[in-house]
Amino acid sequence: MSENYEPNIVAFLCNWCSYAGADLAGTSRVQYPANIQVIRVMCSGRVNPLYVMNALQQGADGVLVSGCHPGDCHYMEGNFYARRRLGMLKDLMEFVGVDPRRFHMSWVSASEGNKWKEVVEKTVEDAREAGPFEGFRRRQIDW
Amino acid sequence: MDLEQLRKTAAEVVARDDVKYLIGWKKGSYGSRVAPAFVEDAASVIELIFSPSCTANLATYLTLVEKTPLPRGQETDKRKVALMAKGCDSRAVVQLLVEKGIHREDVIVIGCPCPGMIDQSLLAGKYGDTEERSEVRWNGKDFTLVRGGDEIEIPRNDVLAEKCRLCRHPNPVISDYLIGEAVKEWDPAEDSGVGELEAKDVDGRGDYWEGQFSRCVRCYSCRNVCPLCYCQDCILDRLNPTWINRAVNFSENTAFNISRAFHLAGRCIECGECERVCPANIPLGKINRKMAREVREKYGFEPGLDPDAEPFQASFKPDDPEDFIL
Repeated sequence: MSENYEPNIVAFLCNWCSYAGADLAGTSRVQYPANIQVIRVMCSGRVNPLYVMNALQQGADGVLVSGCHPGDCHYMEGNFYARRRLGMLKDLMEFVGVDPRRFHMSWVSASEGNKWKEVVEKTVEDAREAGPFEGFRRRQIDW
Repeated sequence: MDLEQLRKTAAEVVARDDVKYLIGWKKGSYGSRVAPAFVEDAASVIELIFSPSCTANLATYLTLVEKTPLPRGQETDKRKVALMAKGCDSRAVVQLLVEKGIHREDVIVIGCPCPGMIDQSLLAGKYGDTEERSEVRWNGKDFTLVRGGDEIEIPRNDVLAEKCRLCRHPNPVISDYLIGEAVKEWDPAEDSGVGELEAKDVDGRGDYWEGQFSRCVRCYSCRNVCPLCYCQDCILDRLNPTWINRAVNFSENTAFNISRAFHLAGRCIECGECERVCPANIPLGKINRKMAREVREKYGFEPGLDPDAEPFQASFKPDDPEDFIL
């Protein structure tokens, strides 16, 4: 691993809580690592587990999915579905040899700008420890 | 297994006006192999058999029927299909009912309690394969191979299929007719394959699966034989968005195998068909059994037992485990 390795993290944030939480962190000038690429989705339940796999395949070193706290979902129960599916995905990924530090899930509400900072710091730190993702990443073939 | 009773029941079922055909097993073309039989009239029930060679899961034929557009004025055949089902097959039927892949009134289940099936490749490896017809029978605890007039005793654990060693439901979960007596359930063996992998660290598992998935030729046999892989529009065939490229390389093979395993999480009924048909001998059963165990232990759910259950991935409990959440 080179000295100046910076992990590439893809974050799927739900529109109603986590995205607003990240926005709050931004407007409150909270400093957090800039390794995160945010993709806004309408609900964490909308995150197809294949998104996570596909992100890793296309060059992400870590993936973060964040939604509303259980019970706070704008769509009543979307994050409960997400929790069940992505929890299983984490087990599966771990079983086929993807470092569990590469995938995280969190609940961040719209008022938790500081929690968002902690979550990002933890995710980036874990991905940095795990190193560049070489597993089943799509490799560029030079002819 | 009482073949007389089986054939009598089958004849009775097939003779009904509202039954299209019966899916069962008949003798195969060589060795002790068997082939699926589609019995349409009462006269052909004589070919039906039930032997330790009937390892395959016939429930896949329920959803494999091609539904071509009909000429104007012609109506779809709404008659029922009868199916001979072992314990694992009946679980596939139940899971299909849960997902509304089939309707209860469209299927007649002829339950066949199963004392354990053989693995043809183990049999061929240890006792050789012949072109001439042979037959494997249950004899109480073990198997008997009848070949050219000789009777060879085979210890049960020599040729027993892996799925049967680990089986927890040898008796049909649902049935309209039950052939013979329910068998006594045996203690499932410990799943050593999954245990060994779990004992490794994450990189060790990665290396193991890299070796396995690199050999995948992407024939999609596992998908095609799976009784629960029946989507009309499969993500593997979809071009826009292309979830998984068609290139056969480690990256795409892994993506394919992860997505298939994930789609079967909480649905797989552990019939072991994917593993049996794999031309590259990839131990797909390990991945599916691991997920089935996670679902059983963490979420207390076992697919294919209760026709009125909610599909696992389309439901939730407020107290699902969330120890992995930051």
